[in-house]
This record gives sequence, C-alpha cells and structure tokens, in this order.
Amino acid sequence: MGSSELAKYPFLQEASEYIQETKFDFEEFDRPEMTHIINRAVDKLENELKGKIYSNLDEYEIEIMTFLVSLLLIKSIGVEEISKKCSLFEAMRVEKFLSTDLSTERSLQKKKLLVQKIFKELFKIDIDVDSTSSICKLSVPDYLQRASKMNEQEWKLINRSVKDGYVYLDTDEAVRLIRNELSNLIYTRIKNMKIYEVPLLIKSKADELRKKYSGRYVYKNQFKILEYPPCIKHAMEIINKGENLPHSARFMLATYLLAIGKSEDDVIEIFKNSPDYNEKITRYQVAHLAGKKGSHIKYSVPSCDRLRSEDLCFAVKECENLVNPIQFGRRKLV
Amino acid sequence: MNQLEFAGENTRFLKDVFRKYYFENKNFPYLYSMEKREFGYRKFDSIVVRHLSFKTTGELVAELVRNVPLDVYYSNAYYALPSYPINEKQWEGADLIFDIDIKDLNLPCLHDHTFYICNVCGFVNSEQKLCINCNKGKNNDTSIPCKKCLLAIRKEAIKLLDFLLYDLGVKERYIEIFFSGNAGFHFHVNDPNMRNLDSNSRSNVTDYIIGNGFMSESIGVRRFRNGFTIKLPKSGITTGWRKKVASALGINQKSELKLKHIVEMNGGYEGFRNELNKIAKKNGVPIDAQVTNDIHRVFRLPGSINGKSGLIKAKCNDLESFNPTNDACLLSNSEVEINLKTKLKLNLKNTNFKLESTIEKVPSYVAVYLICKGLATISKSQ
Repeated sequence: MGSSELAKYPFLQEASEYIQETKFDFEEFDRPEMTHIINRAVDKLENELKGKIYSNLDEYEIEIMTFLVSLLLIKSIGVEEISKKCSLFEAMRVEKFLSTDLSTERSLQKKKLLVQKIFKELFKIDIDVDSTSSICKLSVPDYLQRASKMNEQEWKLINRSVKDGYVYLDTDEAVRLIRNELSNLIYTRIKNMKIYEVPLLIKSKADELRKKYSGRYVYKNQFKILEYPPCIKHAMEIINKGENLPHSARFMLATYLLAIGKSEDDVIEIFKNSPDYNEKITRYQVAHLAGKKGSHIKYSVPSCDRLRSEDLCFAVKECENLVNPIQFGRRKLV
Repeated sequence: MNQLEFAGENTRFLKDVFRKYYFENKNFPYLYSMEKREFGYRKFDSIVVRHLSFKTTGELVAELVRNVPLDVYYSNAYYALPSYPINEKQWEGADLIFDIDIKDLNLPCLHDHTFYICNVCGFVNSEQKLCINCNKGKNNDTSIPCKKCLLAIRKEAIKLLDFLLYDLGVKERYIEIFFSGNAGFHFHVNDPNMRNLDSNSRSNVTDYIIGNGFMSESIGVRRFRNGFTIKLPKSGITTGWRKKVASALGINQKSELKLKHIVEMNGGYEGFRNELNKIAKKNGVPIDAQVTNDIHRVFRLPGSINGKSGLIKAKCNDLESFNPTNDACLLSNSEVEINLKTKLKLNLKNTNFKLESTIEKVPSYVAVYLICKGLATISKSQ
C-alpha cells in the first residue's frame, strides 16, 4: 500500500512499524518543530468534540504523528466520554476515506488490498468486492455479528439482499458496518496505552482541553417517567387481572421497573397478583435481575426489536423511532 | 400437564414403560460434543434436576434407566464446565435451534380436537372455562393433532428448511430435524460459523424467518411528503425477502409503474405497509422466537420420550415421508386396560383407534399417550 493510502489509515500495523523504525522518542515532542503536529492534533480533537469530522489530509508522516499525538492527548485528558467521542469521530473519518477509496478506486488490486488490510486482517471479516459493481459480499454470520448492534430497521437481515449464505452490500454500507469496531479499536488503543511521562507541551494542551470540554460531559440522567409504554401497560393489566404472564414478559416488566428506579420491594408487590406467585422465588429473581444475586450483572430492559420478535410489543404512534421501552414517556428534569 | 395423572398407579405404569424403552433402546442419535453439554430432567413429581454432565451415551442411558424421568433435556450451549452453576459454566457457543409448533399455526380444526382438562379434579371439559365438575379448577388444554395439522406443520417445516439452506446458506450436514414428540418440529443447526452468535444476532435471524420488520423501502417504496415515491433498490429485488415480496406482488426490477399502481390500490404508503405485513406473515414461518434467541436453553433430548405424549423426539431424515404418529411411536405394544375420560379417535402406529367406552383395552403406547395427555387413567385392576 502506498504512503498516500496509508496516511488515511494510521491505525494499521504499518504505522506502528514506521514509528518503531524511525526510533522516535517521546522527548522529541518538546522540540519546537513538533509544535505544528501538536497544534494539528489539538485542532483535530476540537473538531471531533464539536461533532465534526476532521477531513484535512496531510502527508503520511504528519498523519501518523498527528494520530499518535491525538491518542496521547485523549489519554492525558482522561475523561471517558471524551475518549469515546473522539474514537467514534476518528472511525467516521476513516469511514469517509475508505468508502471513497473502495467506490472510486479503479484498480481492483488496490481495492482488494484495502479490503485485506482493514476487513480481513483487522476485523477477521471475509469480504469480497465485485470488480465492476463494487458490491461487497460477506457471510451471514459476519454480517449478523455487526448489524445486530445497529438500531436502524434497515440493517435487519430481512431488509438486506441475502442469498446462499451471503449478504450483499454497497461499499458505503460495508464500511458503515465496521464503524463501531473501528471506534472500539481506537478506544481500546487509548485505554491500553501506558505512558509514564507525557511530554510537557502535550500535557499542557491536554489540561487546556480538559478544562474547556470536560464540563459538557457531566452525566445527566435526570428523567421523570410521565407514562408507561404500551408493552408495560399491557403486562401490568394481565398481572392485575390475576392472569399468567409468560416468562419473557415478566423479565421485561421487572427489568423496566428496576430501570426506572423502582425498589425491589415495589417490583415484588406488583408480581403479587400472579397466579403462581411465590414470594421467595420472586424476591430471588428480582434481586438477580437487579444484579444483587447470582451473576451480579444488572439486566437491561429488552429492546423494542426484541419485544417485537417475542410478541410483547403493542406499539402506539408515540413509540415511533424508539429503540427501547425505557425511552417512552420520559421528560428531562431541569 | 395435570399432576393428578402422574400420581400412584399411573406413575408406576408410565415409569415401567419408560424404563423398558430406555433400557432396550440404546440407539440415541449422536450428540455433537456431548461432554460439553448440560443435561437435566424433570421427574414425575415435577422436580427438575439440572447441571448434569455425561461423557458417553452409556452413562446417560444408565441415569435414565435408574431414575426414569418424565422429560429429559440437554443444553443447546457448549460449556467448558457443564455441571457447574450457570455463571461458572464458561459458555463456548450454542447450536442454533428452531421450534415450530402446531398451536402457533392457528388452524381452524384445532378446536375440534382440543380437550380442556381441569387442573384440580382432572375432569375433561368442552370449553376453557371454570371446571363444570368441581367448580374450582382452571382448565389446561391438550390436543390430539389431526392429519390436517400434521400436514400443515410439515409444510412449515419444509419452508423453514428452505430458509436455512437457500437464504442463510447453512450446509445440509449441519442441520438435524427432529419431530418434537408432541406437536411440532425442532431444527438443530450446529454450523461452527453460527455457534458464536449472540442473542441479538439470533433474534435478527428469528425475525428473518418469521417475517418481522420488512420495510417498504426494501422493495423501493418510500414515504414522500404526504404520499410516496418509488425507486427500486440498486442491489435488486431478486434475492432474500425482496424476492419473496416481489414474487407475491408480481413485480420485477422493471415494474416501477406496476408497483406504483399496487401502492395506490392499497390506499398509499400506510396501506401498502399493511399489505406487506400480510405478505410477510404468509411467507414467514411462525417459529418460537424465545427458543431461538436463548443461548442458554435446555432443550428436549433427541431420542427421549416426550412426557406430554409418550412419543419420541425422533430424528427425521426426510420431511416428505416422515410420519410422526408412526415413526415416533416406539413404546410397547402389550395390551393394558384404561379408564377413558372422554370419547375420542386417534391414529398411532398406522392404526385407527375409536375409543368410546369408559373402560378400554388398548396397546401400551396408546395408554401412555392418553395418560400423558390427561385423557385417561390406568385401570386399577392392572
């Protein structure tokens, strides 16, 4: 792969090899000629924190160093939300380059090499690009593992072109499919970085950025539920009538009530109307879902998609565009 | 299932027949990675035993002969430590399982052969209301599937097989089909590429097979202002669900005008979406979503007796020729006397039985079938 292509993909193995080969030392960042790189990295991060993709592209060496400084800056800022946001925008930047390269590149050999480097080597996805149509073909399991993390209905397998165990996507879609993994890859690199001493200039820039942006990421989770979603209302009606509720509906009801802040006792009280109510078992199961017993994992409310497929969804107009019942009827507290 | 039926004489009789089957029938279907599965069973007193592990079929059969359970289960999941508590088992993957059942087909004949049995006194009622005999119990329904039911479920099983082979591309050697032993089919897919799919990915497969969530945009009909616009997808409408829908609508890649007319005939975008839902429901297979989505499920053991019917969960090598009431009926022929609770007809082992008296002499496999369904008890004079 040529250096102009590699400049767009600084997270590849080749970039780390380049840094090792040049025997670059962190102390060199304090030299005045490196200021340009550091300022460029700051500019890039500020763009990302404002929700913009940094699309300037420089030559290979500059891009690799800028990427490295960006990671150092993010690590030094040390705010989880900032790390996640910058990783996502870095992934979207790559997505933009990769999508263009795959659809406009005329050389099939170059296309295949890109696919090999990014899809196969990095993410173990066996994907093939058609030489004329640029339609990508990947196996159903490879597709499912990624698409099932997307909330949009269009990514459901039923809405895709599927034949003989393969899913057919255009290049934009194929690249979009790996955005989350790319973002996770960058995030993991930041998380696993071990820095014993951050160069002074980078440290002071990181302090400035933290001061300027960290306030935006104070976690605000103050919502008030004004109305229960129809799926929950339906389950409550059945329980109130003293009728039997299937296991999956009990799971939905209990996880929902716990998620909106009801106490375990409140939840148990609701289940008292079940025809097969047993306080000891219910108490254990509710505590289990709350993450206090057994595996100590707090269970999430099943997604709307899941509820639809289990016949537990009774959607009304207000449910449109929701991905989880927890989003229904809530208002932010100010 | 009525606990009443599994008390005293009935339990003794059923246990004898079940034990004989497990003792004589050692040809259990091959279980892939048996040593990594969790096994469990339900005893006749309803107590469930779980977290068992067996390395060989011999060990498993010995346990079944010793304890004679009502139902036997094994996990679709593979674990490093299958006999440990669930959060310590170390999940290593799970077969993809599909379950289709006659009751989910909503067939019009279902009511004709459904019986409602009181869970307190065991009386057979004609409706699902409070028991008219004891005025206390609620009625559980049980059904004796008729020929129409069995043909309908077979048709759905063939559709499911087509989805797996031609859409999802699962190789035939990875698919095992079993009659559930009561009123449906179980498909086990042990494709190594599918084994690591998480629950969300499996739910995506479930929706594909049921036909949930097909968007009108996938066939080229988009909402536009107060109306709609048509632009057929570049990637075509000749594969997967797009093909099924296009074929139901009678359109192809060049039918933009025809499609526009169809949407208008259905009253516009919303009406067309309703039409698509109907097409999807008709072309999909009503599998049990919870079964497929669950990656830790214990599932009826192939070759074991189904406690709801006394029939075997039998392997089905050819859906077209498989006859559940014959091929899955493997219990003893020896005659016994039963007290019948209601008049009924049934066909087992290619024999028609028309049972009308309160006391009837029948082969053991018929007696087991009716006792398991709560429609008869063993005669005390045995």
